[in-house]
Amino acid sequence: MKYVLLAAVAVVTLAGAVLLGAAEVPLRDMVASPIVWQLRLPRAVLAFLVGGALGVSGVGLQALVRNPLADPFLLGLSGGAGLGAVVAIAFDLPGPWALPLAAFVGAVGAMALVYRLGLMGGAELDPRILLLGGVAVGAFAGAITTAIVSLAQATELRNAFLWLWGGFSGASWTTVLVMVVYAPLPLAVLAAAARPLDLLALGEEPAQYLGADVRRLKRLVYLAASLLTAAAVAVAGVIGFVGLVVPHVCRLVWGRLHRTLFPTAFLAGGILLVAADTLARTVVAPRELPVGIVTALLGVPVFAFLLRRWTVS
Amino acid sequence: MRRWAHRTHLAGLLLSAVLLACRQAERSPSHQGVVVTDDAGRRVGLAAPAQRVVSLLPSFTELLFAIGAGDRLVGRTAWCDYPPEALRVPSVGDGMPPNVEAVAARHPDLAVLYRSGPNVTAAEQLERLGIKTVLLDLNRLEELGPAARRLGVLTGRVASADSLARAMDSLAAAPPQPLTPGPQSLVFIVWDNPPIVIGAGSYLDRLASLAGARNVFHDIAAPSAQVSIETIAARDPDFVAVLSDSVVPPRYAGRPEWRVVRAVRAGRFLFLPGQLFGRPGPRVAEAVRELRHRLDATP
Amino acid sequence: MDRELILALSGVTCRYPGAPRDILQGVSLEVRAGEFHAVLGPNGSGKTTLVRTALGLVRPVEGHADILGRPASAWSRRELARVVGVLPQREDNLFPQRVRETVLLGRYPHLSLLGGMRATDRAAVERALVACDARDLADRWLWTLSGGEYQRIRLARALAQEPRLLVLDEPTASLDLRHEMELFELVRALVDAQGLAVLMITHHVNLAARFADQILILAEGRAVARGAPAAVLTRETVERVFSWPVAIEPFEGRPQMIPLRRHPS
Repeated sequence: MKYVLLAAVAVVTLAGAVLLGAAEVPLRDMVASPIVWQLRLPRAVLAFLVGGALGVSGVGLQALVRNPLADPFLLGLSGGAGLGAVVAIAFDLPGPWALPLAAFVGAVGAMALVYRLGLMGGAELDPRILLLGGVAVGAFAGAITTAIVSLAQATELRNAFLWLWGGFSGASWTTVLVMVVYAPLPLAVLAAAARPLDLLALGEEPAQYLGADVRRLKRLVYLAASLLTAAAVAVAGVIGFVGLVVPHVCRLVWGRLHRTLFPTAFLAGGILLVAADTLARTVVAPRELPVGIVTALLGVPVFAFLLRRWTVS
Repeated sequence: MRRWAHRTHLAGLLLSAVLLACRQAERSPSHQGVVVTDDAGRRVGLAAPAQRVVSLLPSFTELLFAIGAGDRLVGRTAWCDYPPEALRVPSVGDGMPPNVEAVAARHPDLAVLYRSGPNVTAAEQLERLGIKTVLLDLNRLEELGPAARRLGVLTGRVASADSLARAMDSLAAAPPQPLTPGPQSLVFIVWDNPPIVIGAGSYLDRLASLAGARNVFHDIAAPSAQVSIETIAARDPDFVAVLSDSVVPPRYAGRPEWRVVRAVRAGRFLFLPGQLFGRPGPRVAEAVRELRHRLDATP
Repeated sequence: MDRELILALSGVTCRYPGAPRDILQGVSLEVRAGEFHAVLGPNGSGKTTLVRTALGLVRPVEGHADILGRPASAWSRRELARVVGVLPQREDNLFPQRVRETVLLGRYPHLSLLGGMRATDRAAVERALVACDARDLADRWLWTLSGGEYQRIRLARALAQEPRLLVLDEPTASLDLRHEMELFELVRALVDAQGLAVLMITHHVNLAARFADQILILAEGRAVARGAPAAVLTRETVERVFSWPVAIEPFEGRPQMIPLRRHPS
């Protein structure tokens, strides 16, 4: 019953995103309107896919580091993406895809670095090392970014930061296609890891004794969740709180089994981000807020509420 | 022998008399001293009109040349590229923030800075080195006249500065010119991802209305703002204006989502060179004429 | 009729890099179906390493560990989990869960990737709960259980795996007398009724002597004694291994150890 409700909310939210907008498009003209087909629809679909990716990635990472307060961007990915974006703009890299590609490469670079740190000294992706490594790599990338910004002459660097705060203004069918082609593999890997992740919640040793190949599991989950997040950043900048809050809400409603958590987190993340994007472009019309700010404003009170419940129980 | 001694004696007397006269002149600076109040509320006073000026903003460089004080310029920023004579003046860096040592190395008696947070700090550092500084606002058309006047006082070029200032003021006070036939609308797009447009608080918006065009985002009070492509498409401007030195369409022009905007689809771009349009300066009238000319020229 | 050999360790020597001495030296052990083996020894004697080696988590530098005739390292974790049920010392509890949910986790090694819970799985869970006398706890939240009840649930989860061998690492460490006795009785009953093999690490020498069929005493990585309780728990052996004077008294045919006071009053 709850699933039906979730699906219904998803449909309603998507419909709202397509119906609302700055341009007045009468209902009967919608089918043929380029505004709907080239702007609103790809934007809504992309926001849904990115929100879903972030939600699923959040579930995976929280299970991996066994910390329900983990967010996909804790592992240094946002710092890496920011560095990539700034490099693309400061050195004026050519091509319309320079910015997203550079951000993706930066995020993946950060992921690889944290991964390497997590394996040092036979640590085998110890959650504490992953978290600390993520903070360190993020800070390192941030320092290089600041250095480039202070030395470079491009005045458009301010705009690089605006992009980084997250937004779907660049949404197009091409970016949707990229997500649709790219996301299924990491999503499938995470879905297959659902049962072993239930076991991992007991601890690494108990999980092994219940049949989970913990070493392989951690590596696969880390890579899949990071790649999903890197793709999300590449097409939409850094959008925080979705990956943190959505897993919690889903756990509250549907319990902690990952077989249900992954699909519901995907839908809930999609709903949240589409709603946030719709708010971002209607609340201060004609201006637009960066989506990352809307999710933070929505997410912080929700997070505080969850924190209270969690510490009480 | 004696006649020679007489002559040297006389020369020595004459020399002393001249020196004395000069010193007396220096003791009464009120004849030649100059004082203005800058936009940070400071009283800036010089014993004599500035002879060695460092300009830390391209607009000030242009103004100094326009009022005939260009020969006093001993330092400029790397961005100061107009007039061509300015390029012969040594650069003191990009000026953001000002390189205090590079400025001091030019031994100026006056440094002209745009009033901003970092520049206030730089000005304090320069003052500690004994270099007089003046901080001026220059964001809007209305601020050109007062800036020109004060630079005129500080460089002793009062008359030419006044006439320039009067021209600027009259332009600032002029009502917007209507274009025939009907007003032409445009949008200034500064960045594409996310889309950043120019609003009413900007100099560019002012130029547009002086040229008889309408900025479709005139209702946004801020100088610039982030909007969505859909909003731009909904407001359907006739032209897309971009600050660009080339006439190559911007890279987003080919994207299907941008082509929902009629002006992008039709390729109706206005390429405005940054040197003339990008900053407030004495060539305002020329910029307005140029813009109007381009609007008329495109059917 | 010889009972089936489930676990066989022969001459196992284990070495951790950088350690001053080998953590295990030449230890041998044979656990057959229907046998209750207890492993005793002071802290640091290598008991937990023994278990890890037996389960293929640690590779011995000498000797070998076999389960059902195959080397332990050759088993995939999933296959092994269908044959061996383990209760490690520590377990995390991140999210609130109910008893039935956590016992169900024991069926995971039997579930296929795409398949869901079948009737056979639910039946196995029921049987496990009944065997551990925990059926009335089935719908309780884990965090409401007492220590003894919680251990019973963990045992039920291991039984839900339908294993041939149960391995327990100090299962009664923090339990009170009643729950400790209940657990030992439960394990004994499972061995007798279902023919399970059990390997239990414990500090409780006396209960091990009462309930176990065979005892292995480890000291500094070496097997000091192996065999039936009466043969193994002699005063000389116990005093040497545990470095404390004791008296050994028989009770119900089993030796019971009574530690002596240093300064009797």
